[in-house]
Amino acid sequence: MSIANPTTSTLSPAVPAVKAPARSTSTRRRRRPTPARIVAFVILAVLALAWLIPVLWAVLTSFKTEAEAAALPVTLFPASGFTLEAYVNVLTEGLVPRWAWNSLLTSALVTVITVTISALAGYALSRLKFAGRQMLITLIVASIMIPGQILIVPLFNLMLSLNLVDTYWGIILPQVVAAPMVFILKKFFDQIPFELEEAALMDGASRFRIFWAIVLPLSRPILGAVAIFVFIGAWNNFLWPFIVVNDSNLMTLPTGLQTVISAYGIQYAQSMAQAVLAALPLIVVFMFFQRQIIKGIATTGIAGT
Amino acid sequence: MTTAEGLAAPPRAATGAADHLAAGRSRRRRSDNLRGWLYCAPFLIAFGLFLIWPTFYGLWMSFTGTSLAGTNTGFVGLANWKEALGDPQVWSSLANTAWFTLLSTIPLVVVAMVLAVLVNIGLPGQWFWRLSFFMPFLLASTVVSQFWIWMYNPQLGLINTFLGWFGIEGLAWLQDPNTAMIAVVVTTVWWTVGFNFLLYLAALQNIPDQLYEAASLDGAGAWRKFRAITLPQLAPTTVLVLVLQLLASLKVFDQIYQMTNGGPGGTTRPILLYIYEAGFTGYRLGYASAISYIFFFLIIIISIAYMVISSRRSVKA
Amino acid sequence: MVGRRALMQGAGALGALGGLGALAGCGGTAARASDDIAFWHLLSGPDGVTMGEMLDGYMATEGASSVTQTVLAWGAPYYTKLAMASAGGRAPDLAVMHAARVPGYAPGGLLDEWDLDLFGEFGVVKEDFPDLIWDKMVVDGKLTAIALDSHPFVLYYNTEIAEAAGVLGSDGLLLPTDNPEDFRALALELGANAPTGYGLSWGYLGDGSNQWRMFSTYYAQLGGTIDLPVGGEMEYQEELVIETIEWILSLIDGDVGNPGHDGGTAISEFATGGAGAFYGGVWESGSFRNEGVPFDMTVIPGVLGEPTAYADSHAFVLPHQMSPDEDRRRNVHAAVAYLLKNSITWAGAGHIPAYSPVVEDPSYDDLIPQSHYADAIDHLVYDPRAWFTGSGSDFHTYFGNDMQNVWARRTDPLEGWNAFVTRVNALLLKPTPM
Repeated sequence: MSIANPTTSTLSPAVPAVKAPARSTSTRRRRRPTPARIVAFVILAVLALAWLIPVLWAVLTSFKTEAEAAALPVTLFPASGFTLEAYVNVLTEGLVPRWAWNSLLTSALVTVITVTISALAGYALSRLKFAGRQMLITLIVASIMIPGQILIVPLFNLMLSLNLVDTYWGIILPQVVAAPMVFILKKFFDQIPFELEEAALMDGASRFRIFWAIVLPLSRPILGAVAIFVFIGAWNNFLWPFIVVNDSNLMTLPTGLQTVISAYGIQYAQSMAQAVLAALPLIVVFMFFQRQIIKGIATTGIAGT
Repeated sequence: MTTAEGLAAPPRAATGAADHLAAGRSRRRRSDNLRGWLYCAPFLIAFGLFLIWPTFYGLWMSFTGTSLAGTNTGFVGLANWKEALGDPQVWSSLANTAWFTLLSTIPLVVVAMVLAVLVNIGLPGQWFWRLSFFMPFLLASTVVSQFWIWMYNPQLGLINTFLGWFGIEGLAWLQDPNTAMIAVVVTTVWWTVGFNFLLYLAALQNIPDQLYEAASLDGAGAWRKFRAITLPQLAPTTVLVLVLQLLASLKVFDQIYQMTNGGPGGTTRPILLYIYEAGFTGYRLGYASAISYIFFFLIIIISIAYMVISSRRSVKA
Repeated sequence: MVGRRALMQGAGALGALGGLGALAGCGGTAARASDDIAFWHLLSGPDGVTMGEMLDGYMATEGASSVTQTVLAWGAPYYTKLAMASAGGRAPDLAVMHAARVPGYAPGGLLDEWDLDLFGEFGVVKEDFPDLIWDKMVVDGKLTAIALDSHPFVLYYNTEIAEAAGVLGSDGLLLPTDNPEDFRALALELGANAPTGYGLSWGYLGDGSNQWRMFSTYYAQLGGTIDLPVGGEMEYQEELVIETIEWILSLIDGDVGNPGHDGGTAISEFATGGAGAFYGGVWESGSFRNEGVPFDMTVIPGVLGEPTAYADSHAFVLPHQMSPDEDRRRNVHAAVAYLLKNSITWAGAGHIPAYSPVVEDPSYDDLIPQSHYADAIDHLVYDPRAWFTGSGSDFHTYFGNDMQNVWARRTDPLEGWNAFVTRVNALLLKPTPM
């Protein structure tokens, strides 16, 4: 992925076959609480609390009035009761709904385009023997070495020439190049028994039909995993949208929150409400699809970005 | 990149599949030639335009004085490169990057392993543990930064409030040159440790139970089992996590730009931020390109060094 | 034959991508109406509120366009985004810049030219601006910026403390001083009556701009000048530099003023009535008024020579657009003319309007404390002209980086200054980027 989330990285050989973690632990036999297990539980609980505190603190702040958020001494809970004032202000006055729409639109398009072109290329590289295939594979794999972040300068210049600065396509197009995803899909297609296709070929089905009606349905899990990973990466991507978009109406959530400030000065409750709103969609999705997301990230994440 | 050599040779199964299909079907060959390129075309066009072309064009730009406004595009020879190599801010931001990488990589490996081992014990609440430790990884950098800027707020933040309960005077964490980098590292660990945690969890679940059972028969305690079985079994994952983390940390930008903007006094500015400042804030795209390529070459050197080391290791093994 | 087919299909795919590009072209700002103006600025806090009021006032007039303001973080983040937007050709229709930054910006073609004739139609002419300010509005012979104000660095004083200290004249204003000894004595009197014990409050830690404002004020009082010839070396008077630094150090000696303040602490020290006087920009006055601290303001007394008022100006600019809409440009001129003529409101935020008819109007004299420092207009000192100077610029940042330890008494003044000069000279050797 050319310009992506800086948190993860590249392809690896040593990848252990990643199971969905939830399954194996749930089958693990139940054990009686021993003193050691109780100590471990307490340690884990303290750590989990520590991990949740920054989020809880932000959520609590977002339910305070501006005056209370900035008042000393600091109180944990809104002393004058929970108020939705900050959320109402953010949703009615700011550009947050607009940014959320931009994020959704660009992330969805990045996902659809990336999965489509990567699957097509992955299929060709796996199944079609064409001149230059070997060279292409080498080139695509070697390109994974290029850290996309160092390309911001020439990419921005390219966007200037293509007249794509401050456009949705300017955000989307550079993000659809995901060499690792092509490679993951190719490896998956490699494992599909070719007898299926051979039979269809005998019956006179066209290549594209085979790809569409046989290979793709068989590849649903990996396509889902790739799509999840690409979508999360695009939704959270900061650097590239930050570089290519200056118009506040075209910003995505992460870039808008960072760039546009309030004319009224710093408003703590509102900035926390904005951050919580921006975090909410993925957290809700995660709660419902925890297993699939963890599996998707584990199988593609190692190879991704 | 960790395995570019291994990957460059395509997996045998793939070649086999394609060969098999092609065999006895040479009439399909010609159309496969066309079809192969056609199917690859959409990806290749994007690939060529947005990855390969900028890679070479950026190199060319580093030999020009190109400005943000598109002026001065003429060739200036090695001027940018000479200037960059003599620019103390290039070196200080490279040093900051290395420092950040060192400070963040170690806890990101150790904490991830500890969390995974604890969760893997199989205590009740698996869903909750995973949610707690992994969820931050799903947040956008901006959201993470806003949460933590608020945590670190000198007067109103939770950290100093908490310290105040114990009579400890808080610090201006992000504004103090002595603590700013540490504060950013803490945030980074909180944000990204979940991913490594997940990799470790997967690896732990792949350790055969028999190993532990055999050790129990030999009378080994928990700590001994951890030392003798868990750690060695996790070794490949640790190497993987280390390398991924190293490469990710070298490219740090988001949270530092958002939390300190490289300050105070440039003490947290990583190389990518300096590239941004030189190119966009300072309008000098050509100069910024030269710095980008110096950084690129350093990354390549590190990668090659890793490959050499890891291949030597596998030879020994 | 296959080759040709492949070629044609490849061309088809390329065409499809081209189609995407075409789509993108339509997605921009082109679809907006001519009376819809996108306006960027970096004014937040009291300034932002005042600007919002003025825009509301304009939009309430008949035939007014609708102005949407976008506020970006002050300094480098704002200027970076503005430059990138201008380079991209889909910039906002109107933006605010600091006048001292315009010279580094305009030559690259990132700014479009104002139409003085068009302004004439709306009743704004060259003679409406003081010469010192007009000089900043024209770059390379083109009218590039329309100054809204000048916002000098001045001296605030707490009127209650000053009265208790007996340093107010019969007119209720701070007693004039014209030599270092008197000024120091006055500051010590203020300190003796201030809760913190400090007569003067100045925040400098981590704030290069504020360090430069202070230095520039007193250096100019001594008659010092700075020239920044491209390709050459910075020209300045070393004895005057050292004299200035020593003088400023004597003001933060722990006796007269706190030796180690950051901007925020200094502001709150004065805002809560803790300090006798405060060095700061006029734009802080809104916050102090909100805090309810009793204060007045004056041009920084000329104790080393003539009084000087280090300043910059907020100025309206037209960021470069590839294909500007003529009607909208006209509307932008109309909006700016309105804002200039009604800048008495802007004066409420502390700034001195650049549009002379407003300042010369009798109603301006009623504004207190604004009218007490209006004479700053005659003593304005801007940043030396170069592509890297102006508010929030590298020039200020470098000054802060190298001089902070001088103010903190960890580095010898000349050593700190020379380090700064070395970095400025390095900038001068670089080609002008635009």
